[in-house]
Amino acid sequence: MEPIDIGLWVTGSMLVLVLLGMRVAFAAGLAGMVGLIWIFWAKKDYGLDDFGWALGVAVKTAGQVPHSKVSSQALSLIPTFILIGYLAYYAGLTKALFEAAKRWIAWVPGGLAVSTVFATAGFAAVSGASVATSAVFARIAIPEMLKIGYDKRFAAGVVAAGGTLASLIPPSAILVIYAIIVEQDVGKLLLAGFIPGAFSALIYGLLIIGLALTIKGFGPPVGGFTWRERLVALPPALPIVFVVVVIICFVYNPFGGDAWGTPTEGGAIGAFVVFLMALYQGMRWSQLKDALIETAKLSVMIFTIIWGVLIYVRFLGFADLPGAFSDWITALTMSPMLILICILLAYAVLGMFMDAIGMLLLTLPVVYPAIMALNGGAFVSAADSTFGMSGPMCAIWFGILVVKMAEFCLITPPIGLNCFVVAGVRDDLSVQDVFKGVTPFFIADAITIALLVAFPAIVLWLPSLA
Amino acid sequence: MATASLVLSDDSALSRLDHMLLRLERGLALASGLAVFSLMVLAVVSVGGRNLFSSPLPGYVDWIEQAMPLIAFMGASYVMREGGHIRMDIIVGQLRGRLLYLVELITTLAVLVLMVLLVWGSWAHFQRSFDFAAPKWSRDSAMDTALPLGPAILLAPVAFGVLCVRLCLQVWAFGRAALTGQAVAVPLIADAAKQAQMEADQLQSSVKDAN
Repeated sequence: MEPIDIGLWVTGSMLVLVLLGMRVAFAAGLAGMVGLIWIFWAKKDYGLDDFGWALGVAVKTAGQVPHSKVSSQALSLIPTFILIGYLAYYAGLTKALFEAAKRWIAWVPGGLAVSTVFATAGFAAVSGASVATSAVFARIAIPEMLKIGYDKRFAAGVVAAGGTLASLIPPSAILVIYAIIVEQDVGKLLLAGFIPGAFSALIYGLLIIGLALTIKGFGPPVGGFTWRERLVALPPALPIVFVVVVIICFVYNPFGGDAWGTPTEGGAIGAFVVFLMALYQGMRWSQLKDALIETAKLSVMIFTIIWGVLIYVRFLGFADLPGAFSDWITALTMSPMLILICILLAYAVLGMFMDAIGMLLLTLPVVYPAIMALNGGAFVSAADSTFGMSGPMCAIWFGILVVKMAEFCLITPPIGLNCFVVAGVRDDLSVQDVFKGVTPFFIADAITIALLVAFPAIVLWLPSLA
Repeated sequence: MATASLVLSDDSALSRLDHMLLRLERGLALASGLAVFSLMVLAVVSVGGRNLFSSPLPGYVDWIEQAMPLIAFMGASYVMREGGHIRMDIIVGQLRGRLLYLVELITTLAVLVLMVLLVWGSWAHFQRSFDFAAPKWSRDSAMDTALPLGPAILLAPVAFGVLCVRLCLQVWAFGRAALTGQAVAVPLIADAAKQAQMEADQLQSSVKDAN
């Protein structure tokens, strides 16, 4: 059997294991391990005496992956970003943000819903987790919206959709993971997420204002805050602005001159500020301990899936499956843009059933090289490329697109996790109610993705400066 | 994402062993969390030293690389106990009773096989680096600080070993559940709504504590 056939069999079996509910990290690791044994044994023509040799070589090849791949400085960003998110609860940033957004923005039509979107976007800046963002704001924002007469389904939809903003606005753990898997510059990817994230929030805001202007009795503006009240609401929410600005300045110095340091340092300084804030708010050791254990849990979960998938990737290298897939994609006679759109649609379908991180890690080792080949190769110049951008820029653009797709899937039926979370928090709402309420945002997201595909400059302008 | 766990207990030996192992696992997870905290402190010292006193922390990157395996591996068993590793439960979520436990038994056994092989592989990786005759017993050392890499490499087989013990317990527990229909000491699948409720409760209590 040819290596490529072994690759297909092993990949197929891995998908069956994942469907059967085996944890993704271990299904990928096992597939990689079995695949390596198979390929080495096949080289010796399946001699009975050679099985032990093949097993030994495969085990030693796979055994060095976990340590050698996780001990990188770039990956240390992930636990730091997660720590910021957990400490943010104790720093009281959620309420502070909602209050500030309400006092500053709620005077526009549909004001409280718009404030909720911007508060979730702000919270996204300290939390990488969409689901947690939705859960927190379901408690804070929905009751306030219901009080002034919003439709409860729409109020729930706003919170479910707002939560999805978390993974584009820096610090975003999922963008770091993407950068590691495709071996691109972490800092540039983090920068690239900022404008599309803010842009998504803006589109959501415009959509709500549009609905408020056209539908009667939609939800009145909330006004009457004095400038003094507005200014007082700002300082408690400032650490969030600080975190974003510090991370950006540590990657690219907008004031001219060198960047202040590495993204890792930026993330850690941000975490330290939020930590001081939490201490000021009265965080105790038992709460810090909980935050640390929760950080460890989420980090371990992500690292396990990273090394598991990298064992599988090591095997894929031997089987040359990514090469074969790239050849097949580039040989298609369809227009490259149409192929890209088909791939994004496939992600939309896959994302309905799978967790974003699992989905990206399992598919990127095969899909990413194909996209790069479609653009003309990893080192192509913008002038010679298919999509009009250099190899590294194409990598950034595609990363933002797939992450946005993965987020889109958090609000699509049948398993839009954010909608389940909001329905779970509110006893008076069914999941169907939330799905109904979130439908307009669904359209807003489709528009955002179309714009990001049509105008790559929205994504690439900021990283091209760095 | 990491969610609150749903693990039942009773007064069986299995459940007692589960709780004993859980204490060790929580300790290891806390060590991993403290390593994250130390990353933050290291960066503050490094950036502060560089900008305020013009003396950066020597070997900053080496220390990060030493801390990473601690963060990445030590909590693996704890997360397995809590059922936190990502999976797709669209099919197993539909199964009930003994059939469910049987499928869980098979997939857990498969994970155990992988982890036993990885304990072997990561131990072999450690052995390549470890040498009694070499300075600091290590053939590999970090670039700036000459820190021996051996201890960090050893963390992988140690953490994977603990995970293997956890997996043995889970194989036993799922096997028992497949026979008796009663599952203890293993994470149960909560439906999405229940899971969301637990997660929200957990967050709510955190927020309450903080305020």
